[in-house]
Amino acid sequence: MEARRIHTQQFGELEVEPRHIFFFENGLMGFENLREFVLVSDDESAPFKWLISIEESGIGFPLLSPWHIDAAYDIGNEFDPDRNAVFVVVTLSPSGLTANMKAPVLLDTKSQSGRQVILPNEQYQPMFSFGAVRSTGERT
Amino acid sequence: MLVLSRKAGEVITIGSSIRITVLSHERGIVRLGIEAPRSVAVHRKEVYDKIIEANINAAKTEPGALKRFVVALEMDPTIEQESKSLAFIANTSKSQENNENAMNKQNESQGDK
Repeated sequence: MEARRIHTQQFGELEVEPRHIFFFENGLMGFENLREFVLVSDDESAPFKWLISIEESGIGFPLLSPWHIDAAYDIGNEFDPDRNAVFVVVTLSPSGLTANMKAPVLLDTKSQSGRQVILPNEQYQPMFSFGAVRSTGERT
Repeated sequence: MLVLSRKAGEVITIGSSIRITVLSHERGIVRLGIEAPRSVAVHRKEVYDKIIEANINAAKTEPGALKRFVVALEMDPTIEQESKSLAFIANTSKSQENNENAMNKQNESQGDK
């Protein structure tokens, strides 16, 4: 299968292979119309990853492995390490970072598909605060 | 909106596979029992709304804005995805590398001539 060149607002031109592209049948919640995403890692913003929409330029979600935030994170029985990868969507707010621990993104690397699932665990919050802005006095 | 009155213990069915039972009502709180297939997601609306809000807030994040957090978080680099391989992620620097490789190859093949 051929590699494909796509233009992204976030990272410019990217060469992506079919194995980097994931189809979200139901989109992400609030973005149900967007189905096709490419998973990108950018060394400068590692360990964050990016779920970049192929269909709508400028739409991209920063992702993080939930185990960076909570070593005991439990996604339940649906997770098969041989074929699934799990990320949580990260939001940057004026007071710091929050992660959507309630609704992780579950990728299936065998079928190249993905979905955002809602975990029943009441402890997990959609806007879990985990990183505070360090006050360096500088405004960037 | 369809409005139905039900007593505790009575049931509403939706389609052939969803049943909602009114379990009790006390001091303004109604307890419902919901039976639905696994494929039907059932959640409190507030949770659903918050997830949508979080997604909308995240959708236009600029990579540059996140870079400074990489340092600030001091995350343990040894924790990686629990998946066995990360081959399914496109790397931005690899794209650039590939560009350079492609250019080098072109140069080489031109050199051969």
